[in-house]
Amino acid sequence: MPSKRLFDRIDSIQLRGVTKKYDDRFAINDVSIDIEGGELVIFIGPSGSGKTTTLRMINRLIEPDSGTILINDQNVMELEPVALRRNIGYVIQSIGLFPHMTIAENIGLVAKLEGWNEKKIKDRVKYLLDFVSLPSEMFMDRYPHQLSGGQQQRVGLARALLMDPPLLLMDEPFGALDPILRKQLQEEFYQIREKLGKTIIFVTHDIEEAFKLGDRIAIMDDAKLVQIGTAEELIFHPVNEMVASIVDSGKKFKHLDTLKIKDLISPLECMYVHDGSLDIESAISSMIEKNIEIAVVSNGSGPLGIVKLIDLLRMEDKDSKIADHVVEIPSFSRNELLSSSLKIMQKNGHSMAFVMTDEKLSGFLFPNDAFSQVIG
Amino acid sequence: MDKEHKGVDSLLLSDLIEVWETNSLTLRTIEHLTMFGIAIVLASIIGVFLGLFLYSRPKIAHPMLNLLNLVETIPDIPLLVLLLPIFGLGKEPTIVASVLYSLLPITRNTYTGLKEVDLKYVDIARAMGLSEKDILFKVRIPLSLPMIVGGLRIALVFTMGVVTLGGLIAAGGLGAALIAGIQLYKINTILVVGFWTGLLAVIFDGLAGMIEKRLQRRYGIW
Amino acid sequence: MVTLESILSHTADHLVLVVMTLIISICISMPLAFGSLYNKRFGYVVTKFANLAQAVPSFAVVALVVPLMGIGFYPAVVAILLRALLPIIKNTYIGLSTVDPSMLDYADGIGLNEWQILRYVRLPNAYPAIFAGIKFAFILINSIAILTAYIGSGGLGELIFQGLVAFNNEKILAGAIPAILIAIAFDIIFTRIERKLTPHYRK
Repeated sequence: MPSKRLFDRIDSIQLRGVTKKYDDRFAINDVSIDIEGGELVIFIGPSGSGKTTTLRMINRLIEPDSGTILINDQNVMELEPVALRRNIGYVIQSIGLFPHMTIAENIGLVAKLEGWNEKKIKDRVKYLLDFVSLPSEMFMDRYPHQLSGGQQQRVGLARALLMDPPLLLMDEPFGALDPILRKQLQEEFYQIREKLGKTIIFVTHDIEEAFKLGDRIAIMDDAKLVQIGTAEELIFHPVNEMVASIVDSGKKFKHLDTLKIKDLISPLECMYVHDGSLDIESAISSMIEKNIEIAVVSNGSGPLGIVKLIDLLRMEDKDSKIADHVVEIPSFSRNELLSSSLKIMQKNGHSMAFVMTDEKLSGFLFPNDAFSQVIG
Repeated sequence: MDKEHKGVDSLLLSDLIEVWETNSLTLRTIEHLTMFGIAIVLASIIGVFLGLFLYSRPKIAHPMLNLLNLVETIPDIPLLVLLLPIFGLGKEPTIVASVLYSLLPITRNTYTGLKEVDLKYVDIARAMGLSEKDILFKVRIPLSLPMIVGGLRIALVFTMGVVTLGGLIAAGGLGAALIAGIQLYKINTILVVGFWTGLLAVIFDGLAGMIEKRLQRRYGIW
Repeated sequence: MVTLESILSHTADHLVLVVMTLIISICISMPLAFGSLYNKRFGYVVTKFANLAQAVPSFAVVALVVPLMGIGFYPAVVAILLRALLPIIKNTYIGLSTVDPSMLDYADGIGLNEWQILRYVRLPNAYPAIFAGIKFAFILINSIAILTAYIGSGGLGELIFQGLVAFNNEKILAGAIPAILIAIAFDIIFTRIERKLTPHYRK
């Protein structure tokens, strides 16, 4: 039974004096926020500060004790919850793909309940899988436990986009991933966000992620909204010590000139290294098993470059050697200055580099967007 | 040496055929499995529905499960003979006793399975816009399936046991053949029927175990 | 007409058989379970075999003892042991072996020896599982002890079978009701002890 399309686009989301108490403790205390359509607003704060509760009130998973939440001037409490939620995409850290359904069934579930025909569902699922860079013919019929964490999170996003909701709620979507994978998914998400053109409310505890992805950042503490503003506003005009300390990690950019690569190195783990003579088929299974999205290709004496799992999955000739498909990336010595290396990388459009210690690979460098802005 | 072995083997085989025919074991096996099948089907239907019902009425779940627990405490033969005044001798009391015993594991596992589905799945289902009915049928029930089959497997073992005892109250089946063997003190009969009864039970248990494992594996719950 | 004396003496016979076999099964099971702990292969075989044997109907087990030992009290004891040993061994072994590895690691780290680890870490952890095994064994024993009257063990089952043959409902009930009462009484007692044995932090 199809549910009503409640809104095609978001013009505004307003929280007015929203309060929620559990026993005697405030989960949210008199929070008011105005969000514009098309904005990406990040909620950040210590655990228990009320950021997730605020998010879950917007799709009525939690209902406020007092105050109102308006989407396009409609009070969400007056909307039918099932219809409301089908108009809002939801992505969470634990992903929650249903283990008894295939990937296609997971993504298409709500469409089926809405009474779409099989063909329409299949086409939509294929489109979405390709949109999140998973080759649909390879993944549609798999079960969630056969996917790596990063792949599962991509499916989670595809599922949230099924009904083409104008609003996305994302609760630490990259929180459970390892740092390297997290950076890559952030990068991809940053890119597809433009294509999505949706209003997004995003919860995180990672200030770098907030700086990188958010148009505005809302800082919460002790059930209250402390400050909301752009990264610059928060860094240069924090309302109190607490805000200053949260954005503090941003301040290290000020000392960028003195930082060396070794200060920001992501150490190499053996599991990333694959021999160049490996064929694509075995490299894919090895990477899926190790739950990694990028592999370093080595020829025995040193690294040749990297290969990405997504690219390998798309290769036609699965018998060829991975050495033939290597993407070269720059390499720097660990004692080089960070700023100059970053400049080089930015100029050539590289999103990662090898870090060498005594001619041997010892780690990676990921210049994030915040850095690029500072030195740009 | 070889000849002697062959002699023993053919002796056993001919004994087996003789025992099988004089005790009409084909018929006995059919009787046995018919009672078993009817009891299991009844117990599964009633047990799963009762589990669903208790899930929707959490207030009576505890007293009801306690009652079933009490039934479970009654030893098998006393339970069988207590049913005689109501159902008379034969297959009926045997099937009823099997169902009574099997209800607890099936009902309890269905109820617990539904109740203890990982809340993150329920939460995401709700957030996706599934109604409570959809959550029950698309998420909770499928996710409790391995647990429900686990209960069914316990019920299979109970039912095999009670059906065999049915021989004592004139229900026929392989229990009747065992009684004939013991009363006439026919060693061969006891051996053949005893092993055959045990083997059947182990096979059914093994099949159920395989289904259980497959379900768990498919759901990624190793 | 069933006399009270007859009920009491059959009940006493039943209790002797039940308690005696329960004690014997505990005495045999424990060393085997501890043995399984230090010999992984043995442990594996025991758990596999226990799972398999649990599926075999009791009546088949009781019957199969007859060709080996004939009928009477001792064959009945053996038949009961065949069913009752495995749950205790299996539960004890599982209880002893499924201890949080970090706890074992820590015990190792503070210098406890094998025996001390068993005494202070594994055993307290295994009490609830061991006890559940014993409780389960009792339930099995109490019901098979009725069945073994069929191969001459005496006890309450004898009254039931005499009643069945003679279509004497009074006699059937005289055997069945005490057996049910014993089962319920033991269940209550065992549940009490179980509550005491389960450490409060697990409840």
